[in-house]
This record gives sequence, structure tokens and C-alpha cells, in this order.
Amino acid sequence: MNRIAMLGGLIAGLGFFFLPILNLKPNRLASGTSFNLLEFQGDDRYLMLFLLALIPIVLSFRNDAESRGWMLVGSGSLLFLLTLILPAGAGANLLLDPEAYLGEGAFIRNPRILPSGGMVLGLLGAYVTIFAGVRDLARAEVQMWVQAIATWVAPLIAIGLLVNGSFDVYSILVEFYANGAALEQKFVEHLMFVFISLGVGFVVGVGLGLWASRDERVAPVILYAVGIIQTIPSLALFGVLLVPLARLGDRAFLPTLGFFGVSLAIALVIGVSYVLLADREPARLKIVHLLATAITATVPLALFVGVFVSFLFRLANVGFTSGAYDSTTTTIFGLLAAALVTWIVGRWFVKPDGFLRTWLRRANWLLSGATTVAVIVLFVQAAGNSRVLGTVDSVSTLTIRDLGVSGIGVAPALIALTLYSLLPLVRNTYAGLNNVDPAIIDSGRGMGMTPSQRFFQIELPLAFPVIMAGVRNAGVALVGIGTVATVIGAGGLGDFVIQGIVNTSIDQILLGAIPAIALALVLDATLRGLEGIFTSPGIKQVQS
Amino acid sequence: MIEFQNVVKRFPDGFTAVKGLNLKVHEGEITVFIGPSGCGKTTSMRMVNRLLSISEGKILVEGRDNKDFPAEELRRKIGYAIQQIGLFPHFTVLDNIAVVPRLLGWDETRIRKRVDELLDLVGLDPDVNRDKYPRQLSGGQQQRVGVARALGADPPIMLMDEPFGAIDPITREVLQEEFLQIQKEIGKTIIFVTHDIDEAIKMGDRIAILRDGLLEQYDTPDNILAHPKDRFVRDFVGSDRSLKRLGLVRVHELMDTEKVPSVRIRDTVEKAEQVIKEHNVRSAFVVDDDGELRGWVDLDGIRHSPKSLLDAMTEADYHEIGVRKNNTAREALSAMVARSFRITPVVDKSGRLLGSITLKALQDLAEQGWGDEEGNGS
Repeated sequence: MNRIAMLGGLIAGLGFFFLPILNLKPNRLASGTSFNLLEFQGDDRYLMLFLLALIPIVLSFRNDAESRGWMLVGSGSLLFLLTLILPAGAGANLLLDPEAYLGEGAFIRNPRILPSGGMVLGLLGAYVTIFAGVRDLARAEVQMWVQAIATWVAPLIAIGLLVNGSFDVYSILVEFYANGAALEQKFVEHLMFVFISLGVGFVVGVGLGLWASRDERVAPVILYAVGIIQTIPSLALFGVLLVPLARLGDRAFLPTLGFFGVSLAIALVIGVSYVLLADREPARLKIVHLLATAITATVPLALFVGVFVSFLFRLANVGFTSGAYDSTTTTIFGLLAAALVTWIVGRWFVKPDGFLRTWLRRANWLLSGATTVAVIVLFVQAAGNSRVLGTVDSVSTLTIRDLGVSGIGVAPALIALTLYSLLPLVRNTYAGLNNVDPAIIDSGRGMGMTPSQRFFQIELPLAFPVIMAGVRNAGVALVGIGTVATVIGAGGLGDFVIQGIVNTSIDQILLGAIPAIALALVLDATLRGLEGIFTSPGIKQVQS
Repeated sequence: MIEFQNVVKRFPDGFTAVKGLNLKVHEGEITVFIGPSGCGKTTSMRMVNRLLSISEGKILVEGRDNKDFPAEELRRKIGYAIQQIGLFPHFTVLDNIAVVPRLLGWDETRIRKRVDELLDLVGLDPDVNRDKYPRQLSGGQQQRVGVARALGADPPIMLMDEPFGAIDPITREVLQEEFLQIQKEIGKTIIFVTHDIDEAIKMGDRIAILRDGLLEQYDTPDNILAHPKDRFVRDFVGSDRSLKRLGLVRVHELMDTEKVPSVRIRDTVEKAEQVIKEHNVRSAFVVDDDGELRGWVDLDGIRHSPKSLLDAMTEADYHEIGVRKNNTAREALSAMVARSFRITPVVDKSGRLLGSITLKALQDLAEQGWGDEEGNGS
């Protein structure tokens, strides 16, 4: 007995029976006419879908798990593909003579076929059936890779057919062909939102998490603060950033640089004095001192992060979306990537004991150092590159807005997204580091490891899976929240969604939504994969 | 080797955990720090490798003030094992044991050799266990790896903080025995912290009893049991300290090899009767030509079969009536009480009679301490 298979068959069968499978729309905006499977009279092929939906229900009463599994995977895959293919054929027929179906007076312009509830439930039921079959195969202890193939064969064939153009009749693909170039640009923008804010959020969030785990007094303050940020609706946060960033954008570049320098100096003086004096101060003064350090440090830090990141985005955006992959831009990102890779290789692959240890370590330092210097040089160079920045004559007339900071657009979007990414990153870093058994750290200390050896060899590897879970959380959330950035003119996949809502065009909404969903899933899977590769087998959770 | 000179430890909250400790840990010995919780035993130990700073006074390690060494360098020279073991879960057994050698920059071939050597020493097959992760080992195996790790770079000194504390009693006994065997081979200078007086007596060459940050008594286990300095120590070692003391003595140290009431299996009944009366015992042991213990004979038996010793004797297996020469006096006592013997034969592992031990001898040993103390105290 396989109840899941029965469920799959029921979902598909009931969907086919009660819900329309297609909707014929006379144009992009008007609502159209729905068609039930049974309405395609004179063509018995459509009855086949009903029969296919019955098969899993019948199969579910079989007892031998392995043969049942194979039959379920086969019938489910067939159902999956036919649910996509057969209505596509029917839809093509409908489009040959739309007037016949839509009736008098319909304004027919670019008529299109929209998949309806019946098809969605059909696909869902088919997939539940495949899933039930794979579970049977797992129970029959069929090898893992065979199970993987069984799971993916139908979706992969579907993707092949999609690329081949077999589903072009469906409206979402019509929309895709109409907006293909725009989609690519928006997708890249979206990707940039996610990666830049995740990158900055990672540095700031892991830093704050580290600080919180080291200092019990600041931990509640930091955790509370990032928690509060999370409660602000994203739209409100965009709005709140509007005024200060607009003001900031108006300022000239050089005075701002001066202001940055002065506030940095003040923060440094207060911070260093805290480090030097904290042990001798009474507790209450110490807290005031600490708060002063935090507040004074926030201003230059926020300024620097905001301006630098906006500028980076500006560079990247110009590079990607103008189609001219500016050589400076690509070099900067190439070098950043190289530095990251060298660092990771140095830290994880070359264990402190590994083969050729000393030389690889030296090479690692050398490479990381060289790439850092190169990035800084190129950054300065690009700041003076008028082609990237638009029409700027000299640095003296440069305003902050020229660097990409303004009330609307990318700067506030990136800042808000970065702030949103902080909670999972800070919380997981804090939890990950705090949950390392104190006895383990104590024995590391007792054996004569230095603080940095303890951090890199014990605490970080042990906290790594938890921190990575935070990165995954933040990344997936950012893909979603990033769609809201469109309302302040920052672009991204949200553009399609908002336009679709304004136009009541489901196709447009899906054109934005489906890539966003795919991006979130791929990002999650990729980060999971990285987590798996870099986590020691000694601490891996046993997958159930 | 390690010397505490007026060592004081005050914590930032004002609590003074150690109030002027003076103590010399002897080279190649296990010195046990023991006392009720809060007595400063762990604090004192942790100041040796500067896991805790010293507020006043100093600790000499190998004749030098331990503040003269950089802290990390000092710690790498001192083995460290703790109750929670603290193995790195993301490291294999090999990597765990290799921590200190790698910090010291040993080359990989030397490290591998050393790791295998240590795994053999602690009774784990290197080929089976080298590449396992800690979670794949039992608690006892993990603790063995913990000890091996502390011995990693062959440090002359070891600090052990209740290293067998988190393990079930049976495994703990085994590990204690094994560790004593290992110590016989390696002869490290060890500070061993425990709160378990039985463990202290078993493991320690010397015991330092601490109380409220002060050294209460510092002596060999035997002397502490026999001559507890004051009421606190007496209470601490427990009312059964006489019995504990018997645990320190092996049977062969107490047995009588001359006045043994034994007869040969071919001897006459009369001879047996004579031996029994001569030694003023209830029965005599019967041995065969090889000297192996075969049973015993008493006056009742002789009365029933006055002709033949073979008929008169009661045959018994030497396991059942004898004790082995390596048993502790405490084990001998419990065997005798269980069998209600007043004298019991001592045999070697093949059952040959070596001598005898009397209940009286055990009693005298146990009472030694009490007697002295009463003489001193009143």
C-alpha cells in the first residue's frame, strides 16, 4: 500500500476533472475563456490524461515495493510530460481560430494560452507520484544514483522540450520571447543585489556576530538591534532611507571625504582609548565608553560601506548592462574572486599540517596581498574614469551622487537589503560560535594554541555549518525581498512583478517570479553544496 | 620539578581561591590534588601552565619561574587532559593527537610514527582508529585518545583534571590500571586533580589535600590514611580509611611464608593433627608433591577417617580457598570474611602454595593508624 501514490493520482485526477486546464486570452490583459479537458471533444488523446491519473491509484494497492516503485516513476513521469505536452497541442489548435472560441466582440490581439489550475494540479500530482515511486525504490535499497535519475528524468526532459520550443504556445514563454533581453538585464541586476548585499552583510554580520560572541555585554544590544531591523517592513525601510541618502547624494565628494576622515579619526581615538582603559574603568563608565565607541564608529563605517558598495554596484551595473564589459570592472571582480578563492584554498584545503605547508602558506599570503593591492589600485583608477561615472570633469566637481548614492535607486536598495541580511548572519554566527563546547576551547588553550589558531582551527570550523545556514537563510530571503527594490527604482526582477500587478498580467508577474524562485533554489542548493564540501565529516549532521 | 611558592590566586570578583600554597611536586611522580569543591585544586593546577594567572607568589617549572616562558610555549611543554576530554570533533584521531607536535612544527613522518606509538601505548589499534572521528569512538576510547593527545609531544610534565571522571565505574577502573602501567613506562611528572579519594589513593604517589585554598596535608597515601593530620582530613578520607589502607598493601607483603600450617598429601593423619595443634588453627592446608594446593583437613575430618589423610581431607580448588599474592590486602580481607576463614592460603597463578595470611595480620595493619592517632590525640 502506498498512500502517497494514491494522493498523487487523486490530486491529478480531481484537478483534471474539476478545474480548467487552459485559458485562452484574446490579448495580454483581458481575461479569457477557460477550457476543461473534457471540452476537447473529438480528440480521445485527452482522455489519456485521466487514465494516467488513475494508474497511481491502482498501483498504490500493489505490494512489491521495487516493481511498484518503477511503475510509479514511469507512470508519474509520463503523466508529468503529457500534462505539459498535450494541452500545448490543444492550445495551438485554439490559437488557429480564436474567434470561434472567444465569441463576438472580443478584442483579439496577440491571443495567448495561459496554463490553468488543472495543469498545475496535474503537474503536482505527477510529481507526488514520482516522489512516491522514488521512496519505494529507496525502500527497496536501489542505488542512490538510480534514485536520482528516476527523480530528475521527467523534469530534465521537460526542460529539454522547453529549450526545443515545444511549449512556446504558453503565454509565459510568449512574454519571455517579448522581453528576453530585458529579463537578462533584470536578472543580472537582481543577482548583483543579492550578491553585493549578501557579501557586505556577510562581512558586517559575521563581524558583529563575532563581537557579540566575544563580549557578553554587547551581545544583547547587537542581537536586539538586528532583530528590530528585521521587524521594519521593507517598503518602510526603503522610504526611511530616501531623505538622508538624497541629502548625502547632494554633497560634494571631497568635503565628504574630509568628513569621513575626521569622523574615522574620532572613532579611532575613542575606540583605542576604550581598548586601553576599559579594564580600569568603573562598570558604568565602561558601558558609556563602549556605546560612544560603537556610535562614533558607525558613522564613518556606514558612510564608507554605503558609498563604496554603491560605487561597486555602479561599476558592475555599467559593466554588465551597457553590454560593454568594462575592462576595469571585470578585472576588479576577477581579482576579488581570485582573492576569495586563494583565501579559501589557503584556509581549508591547505590544512596547517598539509603537504608543502610552508610554501603554500607563503604563496597564499602573497597572492591575497597582491590581489588586495591590485583591487585598491583599480578602484582608485576607476573612480577617476569618467566613462564609468558619466560626465564628470574633475574630482572637485564630483558629488556623492556621481558615485551612485541617491535617495532612490540602487544605493538605498542595497543598504536596506544589507540590513535585512544581518539578522540571520549575526544570529547564526553568534549561535555557532557560542555553541562550541567550552571544554574543546579550553583543551586547545591548554595545549598551547594561540588565540588565532584556536579561532581558525577550532571555533570557525565548528561554527561553520551554522554560519553557512545563516548565509543560506539570508541569501534566499534577499532574493525575495530584492523584488521589492523596484518600487524605489532600483530595478531587478521586481520590475516585472510590479508591472504585471499594474497591468493585471499574470504572465508578466510570472516572468519575474519564476526566475526569482529558480534563483533562490539554485542559491540554496549551491550554498548547501559548499557547506557539505567544507564541513568536516566528524561534525556532519546525519541526513535522515 | 614543579614548585609552588606562596602562590595566591584572587579572582576579579574578590574571591580568593588559593591562599598561599607551598608545595613541591616530585619528578616522575603522580601528585594528586584533592579536596572538596571550591578548595582550589583545579585553580592551582591551571596556574601551572598559566591557563590562570598567578596573583602572588610564583610557580617554578623545571627550576624556572613559569612566567619566564611565553604562555603558549609553556603549555606546549605540558601535557593537558581534562574530564570532558575536549577532543576536537572535526579532527580525526590522528589530527587530535598530532595537535601539539604540529604546533611545534614536527615533520609529518615523525608525527605519524609518534601517533601510532601513542595509540599502541593506550591500547588502541592504530590501523583501526587512526582515521576515525571522535564521535565514532566509545567514551572510554575517547578518553584513551585524550590521554594519548596529552602525551603527544612527549612532555615531561602532565596536568590531568579528573581525566577519568566522566566514565562509567568499570571502564574507569580499567583506565586507571592501564594508566598506572603506562606511567611505569613513561615516568612523567603529573599533577592529577580529583575529588574521588579512592582514585587519589589508587593513583597517587603523593596526595595533597586542599581546603579553602590552603594545603591541609601533603604526604604519601599510606601516611595520610595512617596518620591523618586532623579531623578534616580524617573525615575527608572517610571512616573506612582503614579498609582503604588495606587497598594499598599487596598480599605478598603481609603473608607469612614460614609458619604455614600445611601438610603433604602423602603425610600421615597424625602429622596433620600435629600441625593443626602446633599452629593453633582449625585446619591445615593440603598440598601435593608439586606444592599445589589441593584442599584442607580439620580435626573433624581426622576424627571421621583416622586412617588415611586422603579420606580425611576436604578437596577444594585453589581458586576457592586461596588468594593470589598480587591481590590487595583489602581483597584478601573480603575473601576471608566471605568464607569465614581466619587464615587463608596464598598461592601463585598455577596454584602453588606460597604462604598464608591471617585475619589477625590484616586487623593489625588496619589498626596501626588508629592506635597511633589515639596515642597522639588524647
